[in-house]
Amino acid sequence: MGTLSDYRSVDYFNLDELLTEEQRQVRRTVRAFVTEKILPIIADCYEQQKFPEELIPEMAELGFFGANLQGYGAAGIDNIAYGLMMQELERGDSGLRSMASVQGGLVMYPIYAFGSEEQKQKYLPAMAKAKMIGCFGLTEPEHGSDPAGMETTAVKDGKNYVLNGNKTWITNANVADVAIIWAKTDDQIRGFLVEKGTKGFSTAKIDGKFSMRASHTGEIYLNDCRVPKDNMLPSVEGLKGPLSCLNQARYGISWGVIGAAMACYDEALKYCLERKQFDKPIASYQLVQEKLVDMLTEITKAQLLSYRLGQLKDADTLLHTQVSMAKRNNCRMALDVSRMARDLLGGNGITLDYQAIRHMTNLETVYTYEGTDHIHTLVMGADITGIQAFR
Amino acid sequence: MNTLVCIKRVPDTGARFALTSDGQDIDSRNLEFTISPHEECAVEEAIRIQEKQGGSTAVLTLGPEVASEQIRESLAKGIDRGVLLETDGSEWDPQATSQAIVNAVQSIQKTGTKYDLVLFGNESADSGDYQVGVRVAAALDWPCITGIKSIEFQNNQVVAKREAPGGWELFRLTLPAVVTVKEGINVPRHPSLRGIMTAKKKEIERIKPAKPELKLLKQNLRKPQEKSGEIQILGHGIEAVPAIVAKLKELGVI
Ligand SMILES: Cc1cc2nc3c(=O)[nH]c(=O)nc-3n(C[C@H](O)[C@H](O)[C@H](O)COP(=O)(O)OP(=O)(O)OC[C@H]3O[C@@H](n4cnc5c(N)ncnc54)[C@H](O)[C@@H]3O)c2cc1C
Repeated sequence: MGTLSDYRSVDYFNLDELLTEEQRQVRRTVRAFVTEKILPIIADCYEQQKFPEELIPEMAELGFFGANLQGYGAAGIDNIAYGLMMQELERGDSGLRSMASVQGGLVMYPIYAFGSEEQKQKYLPAMAKAKMIGCFGLTEPEHGSDPAGMETTAVKDGKNYVLNGNKTWITNANVADVAIIWAKTDDQIRGFLVEKGTKGFSTAKIDGKFSMRASHTGEIYLNDCRVPKDNMLPSVEGLKGPLSCLNQARYGISWGVIGAAMACYDEALKYCLERKQFDKPIASYQLVQEKLVDMLTEITKAQLLSYRLGQLKDADTLLHTQVSMAKRNNCRMALDVSRMARDLLGGNGITLDYQAIRHMTNLETVYTYEGTDHIHTLVMGADITGIQAFR
Repeated sequence: MNTLVCIKRVPDTGARFALTSDGQDIDSRNLEFTISPHEECAVEEAIRIQEKQGGSTAVLTLGPEVASEQIRESLAKGIDRGVLLETDGSEWDPQATSQAIVNAVQSIQKTGTKYDLVLFGNESADSGDYQVGVRVAAALDWPCITGIKSIEFQNNQVVAKREAPGGWELFRLTLPAVVTVKEGINVPRHPSLRGIMTAKKKEIERIKPAKPELKLLKQNLRKPQEKSGEIQILGHGIEAVPAIVAKLKELGVI
């Protein structure tokens, strides 16, 4: 099957030469899945504000969830292959990549890294198979960039903890079977596994989004929600817990957004070669060429950053500040590229018949979640000057 | 049921390509390689046969060391075992290729694995010789049927269907047999990420067949002119007829 169709990812610096056979094979599988299953339906999903639920079993079968974890039914691919998977998913739609980020990086990962053996056995294989969907509850109505200020509490009561508080902007909140809720015990932030149906746990869908429309986002309300103390993640306390999850997901985002940018570049290049104005293809004008060259160059720089980041992650020497640089740079890059593509497509660029506007509006979310652009700037600023500028 | 599938590594058919300056090869930089499409379906068919009937599956290719990538892809989809007939990368003609495959099948049979069915693609996507499957069957003295779009088993027979204008041709072959299949017989699966990781650990058997004297030699390759994609309107209504006739003559159609 000519599964790759006529889509070619950007490879101006022959980075493909650095990829192993498995890494390329993983990319092929995900790319083919996106080309065959996602691209034909994604504009409709976006318009109707729905995630393509029906494809979740196939995504699980192909091993997309928690793919870089070892054992427990996970595929066990390396981090560069994982990055390539995220890149290909986000070529389809940022909402699709978000689904994989949340399930794998934000829910399976903390259970894998900080959970008890019973928790791992219970949740990881089921989540890898997507028999259970997870969500990650950190952000609150009054505390986004500053999660340490959270108001959700967990009070010990015999063999239970009683949770109270609200979480908002939670991807998959309204469809999840299990939520990781970060809450303050006496003095520490701890993670709790709360299953759907638990008394005192309820959710609501957030409507009216103009970004990430093909992804569920919701709120979580905890009213005297009682969970056994065995539902607490035993091996982590403090902000380190949620931040280490975010580090996983941000790593994936740094790769993912390259996929969205490449989709926009590919579409814009083809369009500019075909669209004629003043009797010539618009690609023949210097102003247009400059934009295309800028897009290509910025994509290539982002690829180099993420590739190296993957090596560092596989060597386990990755610093969170390096992840901040890649997340910040690549999200800016992708948003810029999508805007340039939108521009080059003219009036067509504002319709869902083309990909640019969908990616562009999605990327507004990606720019904000998992640490806003500002926050990553301040993380790096503090690192190089030794001066905290957060407060 | 023990099935062997013979596959070929070819440039991805959707890809644009360029030739090397000496015109001897296609420029493989920035090019993806894949399993020839009909053979991808043959691999899928073998896996489905095993899922239904049990037995074993193997995939074999004749080609350079890098062709192990296509074997590995088949292993990732679920094929049990891979055999690489390793060459120096030059193109072997259908006669030499089929002889090497026959030798390999016979030597594997001696070690105890008796194949019931050998599957090929109807033709490879690059050279498109339509010969290798037929030649292998002839040399093994097995029955052979080509261009098949459905395979079933009854007793010790393969029931194979070929599309014909307005219907199907139905064939019964006694096993062991050779069948060449066509795209459309199934929709091939993609290897899962777990499969890709498992395939890493499966072993590929490597055999270096002696290079025979080739009787069919490649002179050079030439790239066909790219289609311009432009539409030319020859005229409207009845006045267009002479222009159409002239064009058809120019194209050598009439
Ligand atoms: C579609 C979507 C899905 C999401 N999914 C999840 C999820 O699954 N789980 C989850 O927990 N959260 C999720 N989030 C929440 C996301 O992480 C937050 O929106 C983000 O952290 C920003 O928080 P905020 O919206 O409260 O904005 P604020 O923190 O109020 O920020 C508003 C602005 O102020 C700036 N700002 C804040 N503090 C400073 C400072 N000290 N210096 C300079 N500038 C500052 C910010 O950079 C930003 O520009 C999601 C968000 C969206 C939109």
